[in-house]
Amino acid sequence: MGQPRRSPDDQYVTETSQIQAETESVLRQHLPDDPESPPPLQRTQHLQFLARNLIQGFPSRYISQDASQPWLLYWTLQSFSVMGVALDPDNKQKAINTILACQHPEGGFGGGPGTRSPSFTDLCVGVRARYRRRPGPAGGWDQIDREKLYKFFMSVKQPDGSFLVSRDAEVDVRGTYCLLVVAYLLDLLTPDLLAGTPAFVASCQTYEGGFSSASQPYFSAEADGTTRLLDDVRPSLGEAHGGYTSCALASWIMLQPYLHLQDPAEPRPSVDYKTALQGSEIELGGSSDGCYSWWVAGCFALLASQGVGGGHGHDADDTATTRADEEWSVWNELALQRYILCAAQHPAAGLRDKPPKGADAYHTLYCLAGLSAAQHNVYPSPARRAQVDQAWRPSPDSPNEELRRASFTEALSWSEEEGTSRVLGSSVNRVNATHPVFNLTITHTEGIMSHFYKQAIPRRK
Amino acid sequence: MEAEDPPLFADRPEWADVIPLEQYEGVSPLAPIFYTSEYKDATNYFRGIVKTGEKSPRVLDLTEHIIRQNPAHYSAWQYRYKTLVALNAPLDVELRLMDELAIKFLKTYQVWHHRRLLVQQTKDPGPELEFIARALQIDTKNYHTWSYRQWILAHFNDDALWSRELEFVESMLEYDLRNNSAWHHRFFMVFQSGVRKGDEDRDGVVRRELTFVKTKLATAPNNASAWNYLRGVLDHSKWPYSNLESFVAPYSVPQTALQDVLSEDVVDLENPLPSPVAQLPCVAAVEFMADIYESKGGDDIMKATELWKSLAHQHDTMRRKYWEYRIKEALQNVR
Repeated sequence: MGQPRRSPDDQYVTETSQIQAETESVLRQHLPDDPESPPPLQRTQHLQFLARNLIQGFPSRYISQDASQPWLLYWTLQSFSVMGVALDPDNKQKAINTILACQHPEGGFGGGPGTRSPSFTDLCVGVRARYRRRPGPAGGWDQIDREKLYKFFMSVKQPDGSFLVSRDAEVDVRGTYCLLVVAYLLDLLTPDLLAGTPAFVASCQTYEGGFSSASQPYFSAEADGTTRLLDDVRPSLGEAHGGYTSCALASWIMLQPYLHLQDPAEPRPSVDYKTALQGSEIELGGSSDGCYSWWVAGCFALLASQGVGGGHGHDADDTATTRADEEWSVWNELALQRYILCAAQHPAAGLRDKPPKGADAYHTLYCLAGLSAAQHNVYPSPARRAQVDQAWRPSPDSPNEELRRASFTEALSWSEEEGTSRVLGSSVNRVNATHPVFNLTITHTEGIMSHFYKQAIPRRK
Repeated sequence: MEAEDPPLFADRPEWADVIPLEQYEGVSPLAPIFYTSEYKDATNYFRGIVKTGEKSPRVLDLTEHIIRQNPAHYSAWQYRYKTLVALNAPLDVELRLMDELAIKFLKTYQVWHHRRLLVQQTKDPGPELEFIARALQIDTKNYHTWSYRQWILAHFNDDALWSRELEFVESMLEYDLRNNSAWHHRFFMVFQSGVRKGDEDRDGVVRRELTFVKTKLATAPNNASAWNYLRGVLDHSKWPYSNLESFVAPYSVPQTALQDVLSEDVVDLENPLPSPVAQLPCVAAVEFMADIYESKGGDDIMKATELWKSLAHQHDTMRRKYWEYRIKEALQNVR
């Protein structure tokens, strides 16, 4: 492999190149002697770091996350799942109780009890995905008030297809993503909820290929007194950004079943996948913050699912058309694993942005999620889609049956490709595969969706 | 001499009429945060007045107290805003307070969103642009700051506001020509905000932008932001990349090979050369040349693959798999 080259600065120093040079100097100190043998993933240490926070509590500097308590739980518990560890029944119940205490009387969940609801519902749901024992009083899932939740979602929907993250709060694609994940998993998708949202998401793509936080809508006054959203004047607010790109692309994929049911004669919004792929490649190369391991690297699987940048295709009966030793990705997943293992692990436990920063729950999850994305090829399998679809039990009375069925089968078609995992270093570094859209394990995704859609999920062949 | 810590709300007689409420009633939460007694006290009293719906001046004190300890407490911000409106409080005074907090808590969403709500009421965006410029001195790439500036310009859409923007973004790029946020802002300003007086000659605008970015690239070619901008201008205007072949070619070869690609001895003002100390070949330039060849098709596809190979094996080995993917795609399309 050799020593990685320093980014060239053409002997013209600016603030950016200075910071880059300093970062690279620090990172070079963390290079392993043998690139094929990075330090192992310190599972026990990281688990203890997370468990300590969970059981004993978070230190007072986490007051800044007081309005994000469900996030703290999600980051912690999803990290456990990625590392293949389950919580004991007592703490499971405590988790459920804590989250339920955040449910708002008007629908949705807040960042803490009694606060107004932002779309932290995502986290709550994701977290509780782990805690299903049985439906009913202590099971958790059935205590989510879905009707009020839907009303809350509709109450924050904006005329340009976007959603506020909370009443009187900002619009951005993070909020849109979180809301869509929850609506998707909890069987709350309707055409009314999704109308205009694909166009909003598409409008956030910038000239760099990535996505910004939001776009500015303009309306024209019509003769009949109504206003019309202008299609072609929707400037992006903020530059292309890794986190927003991840949220926007995942949202875009969640919107595909809805889009495909629209009238083909109607103009359809589109996303430029080619520039998105190019943008992601540049972004991954340039940035070094551990959390981009998920935000940026996780995008490649999303793009591949839309036919761009995938390593290979699959025929209808799912015979992989490449051998296991051929590339399934177009990005350098081994280099990412190396970064995470060498630089993102904090010597005193937990994972971090970059040395010499401290570890925290957020970076711990997104580094581990990135490690997962770098190790496993997770893709939408036509064979699995067909299998799930065949097992679908129609409910003739339910409105939106077509949308529900398509959404269900799409989400659950994602599968880990057997035999192609690539783990840098020893097998102790191996973590579980992750669903690229929801950032939950596939098993948990199946569990939660089968419950809320009231469908059986066939065993994988 | 340091001021004493203010007393807890529990110890203030003027707050004796409010019943403080604990966060979790009857639930022993998982992952509790170790609150300071000051924070716990203030938020207990906050829950108390939220329950009664009080919107009074003392609520402004209380919410400010919370925000200073946790600037991300979005409920406190929301309630503060509603209280300001209910009291018909002077919002310009509030904005001055926000100036201090915004600088202190630059990376928090809420502090910027609150400004947005206030400015929508005051309808006085001019001072905001000055404030934003000051904030950007401290944190030149703050996402909230730049997107707030874009929102101000787009929302008010006032010619007077737009008129100094080119000057502003140029000064930011003069300070650091690698500031991607500034490049994005330039694109927003020039291409995403309609046509303003004086800019009706769109071809003229495109040429101006190309000249600008070429000058910056000549100074320091290994600048991904500038190359992205160049591509963005061409894509947006639907100008073929091949128009830029003469400019880009010298950037795609080593310094020693520069003479080989120059067609004349005359200095070409349209196509400034890379600085003599620039580190060449510039990866983005090689990529650009490959894209030109790919777009021409036919025999030029082979030239593109040669360049992608040089990237994969020599100049940009980190992205070897991406370059191999490009080769594969191009060859597949030829068949």
